[in-house]
Amino acid sequence: MPESRSFAATAGFALICVVGLLVPVLTDDQYQLDVAMRVLQLLLLAMSLHLVLSTGRLNLAHISFMGIGAYVAAALTMRFGVPTLPAALVAVAVAAVVALVLGLIILRLAGAYFFLVTFAFLNVVVLFFHSFFEDIFGGASGLIGVPNPDPITLFGNTFTFESRRSLYELTLMVFAVAGALLMRLRYSQFGLMCDAVRQSERVAAAVGVNPLRIKTVAFVTASSIAAVVGTLFAYSQKVVHYADFNIDAMLRLVVFVVVGGVGTIWGVIAGTVVLSLATELLRGLHAYEALAYGIIIVAVMLFLPDGIGGLARRLWEAR
Amino acid sequence: MTVQLLLQGLVNGVGLSMVYILVALGLTLIFSILRIINFAHGEFYMMGGFISYYCTQYLQTNYVLTIIIAFGVVLVAGILVERLIFSRLRANLLAGFIASLGLLWIMQSSAILIFGVVDKEVHGAFDGVVRAFGVVIAKERLFVIACCAGLIACFYLFLRTSRHGIALRAIAQDSDAAALQGVDVNRLSAWAFGIGCAIAAVAGALLAPVYFVSPSMGTLPVIKAFIIIILGGMGSLLGAVYGGFLIGLLESIAPLYFPAASVEMLGFLVVMAVLVVRPQGLFGNA
Repeated sequence: MPESRSFAATAGFALICVVGLLVPVLTDDQYQLDVAMRVLQLLLLAMSLHLVLSTGRLNLAHISFMGIGAYVAAALTMRFGVPTLPAALVAVAVAAVVALVLGLIILRLAGAYFFLVTFAFLNVVVLFFHSFFEDIFGGASGLIGVPNPDPITLFGNTFTFESRRSLYELTLMVFAVAGALLMRLRYSQFGLMCDAVRQSERVAAAVGVNPLRIKTVAFVTASSIAAVVGTLFAYSQKVVHYADFNIDAMLRLVVFVVVGGVGTIWGVIAGTVVLSLATELLRGLHAYEALAYGIIIVAVMLFLPDGIGGLARRLWEAR
Repeated sequence: MTVQLLLQGLVNGVGLSMVYILVALGLTLIFSILRIINFAHGEFYMMGGFISYYCTQYLQTNYVLTIIIAFGVVLVAGILVERLIFSRLRANLLAGFIASLGLLWIMQSSAILIFGVVDKEVHGAFDGVVRAFGVVIAKERLFVIACCAGLIACFYLFLRTSRHGIALRAIAQDSDAAALQGVDVNRLSAWAFGIGCAIAAVAGALLAPVYFVSPSMGTLPVIKAFIIIILGGMGSLLGAVYGGFLIGLLESIAPLYFPAASVEMLGFLVVMAVLVVRPQGLFGNA
C-alpha cells in the first residue's frame, strides 16, 4: 500500500472527526444531535462490516453482535447494578467470544453457506432475546429505561452524561478511537492479506497467508466493534428491543455499504452518511421508502457494481 | 390419546413438509443453475397467495384453475426477472444475493401499496374433515398434501427423463461443459428461474385458504427453506426433500412436548452440529 494513500486516509478520517466535533457547536437541537449520533453509530457498524466483507464474506449477522452488546450491557446495568464501564466491557467480551465460537465453525464453509448460516444465526439471536430469559432480557417488550452512563472522573474533571450533547460527545470519542483502529487495519499489511484472501484463498495460502486465521481475526474484531456500537446504542437510546437487530435493520446496513461501494472504505463511508441522512428525511414514507431502496439497490448492482465509490474512482482515473 | 396426538402431529407435519419442500426445491434449483441465492424467493410464494386471493375474490374462478393461473403468471414473472436482472449476475454470488435483496423490497412494498397490510382471507374449495384412526384431517389439507406430492413427483420426472431436465442437470454439474454439448445455458437459466419461482407460487396459492394472505407471508417459509437447504446441502434436490421432511416433522411434533421457541433453537443447533461434521450439508457433494 503506497504511503500516500495511507496518509490520505488518515487525513480524511481526521476530517470526519473534525466535522463531528463541529456538530454540537452548530446545533443544540436534540433531534439533530440524535440524528448525528445515529449516523456515527451506523458509520462504525458499516466500517466494521466492511472489514468482514474485505475478506470476501458478507456477514448477515453483523447487527446481531450489536444486539448482543446492547442487551448484555443494558441487562447487566439494569438487573444487576453493574457500573457502566465494566458492563460495557463484559458485553463486548461476550460478543467477541460468541463471534469466535461461531466463526471457527462457519468461516470454513463455502461462501453460499456462510450467507445462509449467518442469516439463520441472526434469526436465532432475535428469537433468543424474544423468548429466553424473559426476567433478564424483558421478553417481548425488551429492556426499557436504560440509565445514563455513570460519570467519569479524568484528570480531576468529572464528566457526566445527562444531556444529549454529552452523550453525543461520548459517541464521537468512541467513534474516533474505533474508527481510527479500523482505518489503520484497512491500510496495513493485515488489510492487504484480507484482500488476498478475498481474491483467492488458495493463492493466499500458497504465499503463506493463513486464510482461516485472517478471516477469524477480521470476523471477531468486526463483531467486537459492532458490540461496542451496541453498548453506545443501549446507553443513548434508553430502549433495547430485538426488533432493532432484525433482518430489516441488517439489510439496510448492507444497502449502505453496497451502494457506497464495496471496493473502498471511502465508498462505504460516503454511502452510509448519504443514505442514513436520506432515510432520516424519508421517514414516514414507509412502503415507498422500501420500494425506493429496492430499486436503488438493483440498479446499483446492475449498472454500478462497485457502487458510488467505484464510480468516483473510475472518473478520477479517466480524467 | 398420546398416540393419537402423535399421529395428528405426524399428519400435520407431512403437510407442512410438503410446502417447505416446494419452496426449498425452487431455491435449490435456482442455486444449482444460476449460482444465485434468491433471497426474494418468498415473495414469489407471496405472489402465488395474492393471485389466488385475487382470482377467487374478483374473478370467481375455480380453485384448481387459480392454482394453474398462479403457476403460469409467476412462471412468466420469474423468466422476466431472470432476463432483466439475474442473467447479468449469474455466478456472482455476492452481487446476485444483494440484487435479490433489492427485488425482495420492491416486491414486498409493491404488495403493501397494492393490497394493504391487512391479512386477506381466501375461501377454499373444500369444507369438512376426514376422520381416520382417531385423527382429524381437514379436506383442505389433504388436497394440499396431494397436490404438493404430485407436483414434487412431476418435478422429479421432469428432471430425470425430459430432454430439458437432463440439460438442466448437466448445467448444474458444469455449465461450461454443458454449453459445449450444445445446451443453451442462457435460455435454460431463464426457464429454471421461472420454474423455481412458479413452484413456490403454487405452494403459496395452495396454502392461501389454510392460512391468511399478507405481504409478509413469504418471510417465514423462505427462512425455513434456507435452513433446509443448508441441512440438505446446497444444490442437492434430494437433500431439499429429506431436509424438508426433517424440519417439517420436527416442527409439528416436537412442540407437542417442548416449548416452540426451544424447538426452533434446537433446530439451529442441530444445523450447526451437522455443519461441523459435514460442511457441505447432509447430501451435498460440493
